[in-house]
Amino acid sequence: MTEMVTWTCTGCALLCEDIQVSISDNRIEHVENACMKGKARVFGCKEQAVPTIHGDKADIDDVIKDAARILRDAKNPLLYGWSNSTNEAHIAGIELARTLGGIIDSTSSFCQGITVNEILSGSVPSCTLEEVREKADVIVFWGADPMSSHPRHMSKYSYFPRGELRQRGYEEDRTAISIDVWQSRTAKICKNGFHRIPPGKDAEFMRGLIEALSGRVPKLSFDYDVKRILELAATLKKAEFGVLFAGLGLIYSIKEDITLLSEFTAALNQFSHYSLIPMAGHFNMRGFNHTLHEKTGHIYRVKFVDGKAISGVEYSVIEQMKRNADAVLVVGSDPLASLPGSISKRLKDIPLILIDPCMNLTSRVADVTIPCSTSGIEAGGTAVRMDGKTMDIHALVQGNNMSDEKIIERIIEEVG
Amino acid sequence: MALDVSKFIKAPEYGITIVTYRDVFQSSVCDEDRNGKECERLSAVIVLDATEMKRMGIQDGVNVRLTSKCGSIVVRAVSSPREEQKGIGFMVNSPWSNALVYDETTDGIPEFKNIKVKIKVTNEEIMSHRELFPL
Amino acid sequence: MTNIMEIYQLLPKTNCKECGESTCMAFAVALLSGTRRFTECPPLVKEGKYIDSKQKLEKILKPIEGAEETGLIIHEELCSGCGNCVVACPVDVANDPHGSGRGTGPTNDKVIFKVVDGKVKAANVKECRRFGKDKILCRACIDPCPTEAIEFV
Ligand code: SF4
Ligand code: SF4
Ligand code: SF4
Repeated sequence: MTEMVTWTCTGCALLCEDIQVSISDNRIEHVENACMKGKARVFGCKEQAVPTIHGDKADIDDVIKDAARILRDAKNPLLYGWSNSTNEAHIAGIELARTLGGIIDSTSSFCQGITVNEILSGSVPSCTLEEVREKADVIVFWGADPMSSHPRHMSKYSYFPRGELRQRGYEEDRTAISIDVWQSRTAKICKNGFHRIPPGKDAEFMRGLIEALSGRVPKLSFDYDVKRILELAATLKKAEFGVLFAGLGLIYSIKEDITLLSEFTAALNQFSHYSLIPMAGHFNMRGFNHTLHEKTGHIYRVKFVDGKAISGVEYSVIEQMKRNADAVLVVGSDPLASLPGSISKRLKDIPLILIDPCMNLTSRVADVTIPCSTSGIEAGGTAVRMDGKTMDIHALVQGNNMSDEKIIERIIEEVG
Repeated sequence: MALDVSKFIKAPEYGITIVTYRDVFQSSVCDEDRNGKECERLSAVIVLDATEMKRMGIQDGVNVRLTSKCGSIVVRAVSSPREEQKGIGFMVNSPWSNALVYDETTDGIPEFKNIKVKIKVTNEEIMSHRELFPL
Repeated sequence: MTNIMEIYQLLPKTNCKECGESTCMAFAVALLSGTRRFTECPPLVKEGKYIDSKQKLEKILKPIEGAEETGLIIHEELCSGCGNCVVACPVDVANDPHGSGRGTGPTNDKVIFKVVDGKVKAANVKECRRFGKDKILCRACIDPCPTEAIEFV
């Protein structure tokens, strides 16, 4: 018998909650309304992980015991990944880090973590995606290309839908702006709202805009039509409800100058109402920041010393993998594929445990692999959407593996 | 046997900056099969401005070697359908682009989107996942 | 996208008239508009030397054969399932204002576009504004498509 269920997609941090999935005999048949990325998530990976120790198949209880032994023996264990796990798995992970006196960090460490920090600390105003849909009239994608990273972003929230205050459709009621180094797919949709700037010049362009907002003519070190900046500033000023979607293109470019985000939003808010939303990628990148913040007051890069949490750049995944960590537990991530290639050399040399539903590049160097269920497909829980809203996610089918949350709880039992 | 002189003539090298980006087609394919050929085909590519390619003597579709201060890889060069800014190459975020990323940072965030490399034409083959990370 | 010359180049170009058209060019036009099938060209089907051309034609004409009477073609391999067309099509907004029109998945069967298994599918194409006696040259689904996956022939 085929059954239709409504599902929340964990393909990206948009967490679309209107997906219809048809299931028959515990098998997913079709998925409606999800984009191709969501579809890929639903149908899962080709090569599923199996429990292994040093590449040899092993019993699940034994791999958990071995993982616990590695972590217990390490002086400086690093627990890393987390953006593909539920908040409940995060809670277990933080507990494990505390028990071990270890370090915990997530992919947000080199991604949108600093942006989330600006929001959670109250420096930068934010809003929900529903507010964007109902009210936003000026939408800025800066160093962000949702059409490539979050395919339903513009159709579900930020540009195309009719909202309460935006009844006449996007052409009349909304203005989309793209500031980027090339004409991305999103920029193409923004048409004349596209502003092309040289790489690395985001901070300068932003300062130029702040000048232009207050009526001064900005001077830029690169060739740019001043008239266009002044026009852009005028458009930004006229907004009733403006929103800035900050992509990695912007964040990487201004990371040393991150307080510029609060300067810019404050400048905009002198004339209008503006909020900022980080374009978090993985479905629960932001959830890790929120959960850790709740538990420790820090959003990432935490070390537990005598049960107390301290945070600093020296506890970032990059620094730890490069130098100090003497054992790594990776949960739902593929550091070999996503971190600087040179780090992979060191990962080969230190004990590495990988908890993941799939085989990935890191599986090749892992000492212990532990297969887990896919969050939001075979296991449920809660997750935090890119705008900070907590969403329930549900299991669709019964899998063969334990959830990462359960696996970590088992490791805690073994370690404790 | 004729001597292959081309082997001794060094292909000219040019300095460019690589900016990485995301692509939904590549990421969906790689999520399904991270070690697969199709993921490799869609990932091991650099997109360049067409006139820049002419200037550097790089033909559309040929292989190029990219060398940064910490890594070196071979990928396929493809011309952009649009006019792009000079001196920039675009690579989809992947293990290939990451192989060029330097891991020394002051703030824990490597320069994933601002990678200085030298580019030159090569007749070497594109590196597979396995060749990127020899065990 | 597919153009008339591309199709013509793959035909025998002998103007043999066996298909009933006066020239191969006329047959190419009929193929592009979807009113004829390439299998209706006897030499192409029978003669071995055209085998390569036949295969190429088969490939490029496949989306056209699926085209509805409005000439709507969706190039599935280019579609990312973003749903922009679903939400931007005025017919979808009018027929499903609280679903498609608001950015969520369609809530009834009266819409033209719906994303299934990550790719958009078209239905109810007779509702399309390019169709019928008051037709207009609507582009509301073409312009928002980030990948040029929608085409009318
Ligand atoms: S946009 Fe993201 S959450 Fe929505 S269907 Fe696509 S992958 Fe899933
Ligand atoms: S042409 Fe207009 S009416 Fe027809 S399907 Fe596209 S958007 Fe809808
Ligand atoms: S707008 Fe284009 S890419 Fe998006 S769903 Fe429609 S056809 Fe597919």
